[in-house]
Amino acid sequence: MVGQVVISGLLAGSLYAMVALGLGLIFGVMRVLNVAHGPMLMLGAYTTFWLFHWLGLSPYLSLLVSMPALFVVGVVLQRLLVRRVVDAPELSSLLLTFGVSIALVNLTQLAFTSDLRSVEYLTGAFILGPFAFSKSRVIACAFAILITAGAFWFLQKTRLGKAIRAVSQSREVAQVCGIDVQRIHMLAFGVASALAAAGGSLVAVMVAIQPEMGQMYTFKSFLVIVLGGAGNYPGALLGGLLLGLVEQLSSLFLTTQVNEAVAYILLVLVLLVRPTGLLKGRSS
Amino acid sequence: MVKRFGGVAAVNRVSLALEPGRIYGLIGPNGSGKTTLFDCITGVGQCDEGEIWFKGRRIERLKPHQIFHLGLGRTFQVIRVFPELTALENLLVVTTTDYAAARRRAQELLALVKLERLAGEFAGNLSYGQQKLVEFIRVLMTDPEMILLDEPAAGVNRTLLNELLDAVRRLRDQGKTVLLVEHDMKVVMGLCETVFVLDHGEKLAEGAPGVIQADERVIEAYFGR
Amino acid sequence: MKRAFLVGLAVVLVALALYPMQATGYGVRTMLQLFMWVALAQSWNLISGLTGYVSFGHVAFFGMGAYTAGILIGKLGWAWPAACLAGGVMAMVLAIVIGWPCLRLKGPYFAIAMLGLNEVLRVIVSYYEGLTGGGNGLSLPTLHASVPIYYAMGLVALAVTALAYLIITSRFGLRLMTIREDEVAAEAMGIDTFRHKLYAFLLSAVGPGIVGGLAARDQGYIEPLSVFPLITTITMIVMALFGGKGTIWGPVLGAVVLFAFQELVWARFIYLHQLFFGGIIVAVVLMMPRGILGVLQQKYNLPRTI
Repeated sequence: MVGQVVISGLLAGSLYAMVALGLGLIFGVMRVLNVAHGPMLMLGAYTTFWLFHWLGLSPYLSLLVSMPALFVVGVVLQRLLVRRVVDAPELSSLLLTFGVSIALVNLTQLAFTSDLRSVEYLTGAFILGPFAFSKSRVIACAFAILITAGAFWFLQKTRLGKAIRAVSQSREVAQVCGIDVQRIHMLAFGVASALAAAGGSLVAVMVAIQPEMGQMYTFKSFLVIVLGGAGNYPGALLGGLLLGLVEQLSSLFLTTQVNEAVAYILLVLVLLVRPTGLLKGRSS
Repeated sequence: MVKRFGGVAAVNRVSLALEPGRIYGLIGPNGSGKTTLFDCITGVGQCDEGEIWFKGRRIERLKPHQIFHLGLGRTFQVIRVFPELTALENLLVVTTTDYAAARRRAQELLALVKLERLAGEFAGNLSYGQQKLVEFIRVLMTDPEMILLDEPAAGVNRTLLNELLDAVRRLRDQGKTVLLVEHDMKVVMGLCETVFVLDHGEKLAEGAPGVIQADERVIEAYFGR
Repeated sequence: MKRAFLVGLAVVLVALALYPMQATGYGVRTMLQLFMWVALAQSWNLISGLTGYVSFGHVAFFGMGAYTAGILIGKLGWAWPAACLAGGVMAMVLAIVIGWPCLRLKGPYFAIAMLGLNEVLRVIVSYYEGLTGGGNGLSLPTLHASVPIYYAMGLVALAVTALAYLIITSRFGLRLMTIREDEVAAEAMGIDTFRHKLYAFLLSAVGPGIVGGLAARDQGYIEPLSVFPLITTITMIVMALFGGKGTIWGPVLGAVVLFAFQELVWARFIYLHQLFFGGIIVAVVLMMPRGILGVLQQKYNLPRTI
């Protein structure tokens, strides 16, 4: 029983980790808390839904569409709007992304109505010994791991990735080293949005799709960043897994409704004890 | 005292002892840990090991505002006035005493640095030098016994600088203790009675300005290794 | 100049006081809503406008007040004025509970914590179904009291605005603003930022608490979705931002203008309405971060009492 829960936790956690990494990138590079991160995920989910509905495209193939598409959306958002508040007090970027998130959610509601949608693609479970795991969860986890690994490879091995890490550490120094900080900001935002979109596409087969679905993920991503330490990218992974674990474990003892509050209580506890995150993060 | 960031000791076993009524200087190449030291003393940062004593009390675990009320004030390397408050308001927020008394003192201090006519101006609109002066007198509002000045001479023109230095000497004459971080050697040598030298987070030397200037290790630290 | 303003203000207040005698029930209920928004926007201003700590979950206090009053009236038969005041008190209690841990955090972390607050409260309400009626909501005995509630709301709006005036013109208010300007420097200058933030937070919770109770009484029915909706927070924020956060009359101005707009134009198209508000937030942040009055203040060097 516990084993099942632990593995379920890790499965869910890998998704949280991937999406949170996106948020962490934006925060690490630009010190912006992107409240509109959840809507990005939501848009990814809708992309998958419509591609499936109209073209019968496999949700997993739709990743190839949703990720680049939202990458572009992210870049545009950054270029047009977020860029103007990067240097402003944090209040401004918070409010701005908040406004953007409202706009995105309501635009979606206008366009698609708030009817619940779903993608019926994969049902059933893999049975492994005493454990049973829903197929879609396992595959989602696999993709999440793949994509996240890809993201880390990008951050560690490529020039642009290193540039992103440089800017995360010190914008001034990066500039002096000839890095075009503006482009890095756009890139980071784009990558982050792509990661969120991936999350959306992957959960599209598992949950009901509706315009407000992203809100929960925004909050949980924030939670993961807090757990893992702001600016600490590997920390986001651990934070995500930890969140997944805690959620699944607490579902053993608490009703599903109260379960939602668990994430919140966890957040408050962590912030009380270690305001800079569980792992060593960069203080903002 | 030790302060680490990650694996690096920004301040490594530095010990300083200061006496009232003297002006001390803290110098060292960039990155030697001077501002970190200040931060730890004033509670803005937390030192990892070591103790800080002020007027017979240990203060290393106190919060900045508590340390301030014990009589230890500081200015910052990058000016931190409150831009959307007027110069007068910048001074008024510091004290909790009776409003009228606070206002009088604020105006006294403004007159001291010849800024009375700018009392109602938003601090953010003042010139660099003027903001520096406001930050300086702000620290004096509660008549602290010890003042830490972080690069008071930076970016300040000669006339203003001389006034500032005179003000510091007057503070010393009143029995206060001043510790300043400074890069401008002329200022340090001309003003301070004792100078501490930090390098790579460690205390390299300590003594009268003349002695420090001639110290080989100090010269090496600054000019080449 | 000041005299003219005060006279004008007095005239407006008298007019508002006499209004119910002439107006229709609909008119009274509409104005009552306006007062509610003034109180809400102004309360949000007290914490977020002054200290710069964005409270995304302020509607939690509104809901807290609504449920407190609702339970006291519906289950224990209290009279509504006392029940609403109790709502304010409970909102303050909630503010202490939330504020104590969360205000120690730096700005962005605080915002995150507040974002989740809504959800948690909604969950709690659903959980204690016996008491709160859970998802089915809570009904109150019918009462036709629009006019007294009109006055009550108006009083609260007035009180919160007066509170804003008192705070902004005092050193306490100045100190709150230093937190917004430069919290590190504020601490270094002897200001106990945590204590100040907490007080501001508490004060900002009372208004929504009482007003939540009044709204509950007025509607006669409350359910989690109606008292904890994000749109309430959004609206509060837009109004304060638009009119000028950190000023005294800004939130009032914002509330009046946007409410008028809302009633006349958008109320019928709810998603368009929210979309519009989202757009306004973006526009204000980018172009007029200080809001209308803030911009005017800067441009014409107006005193802070505006």
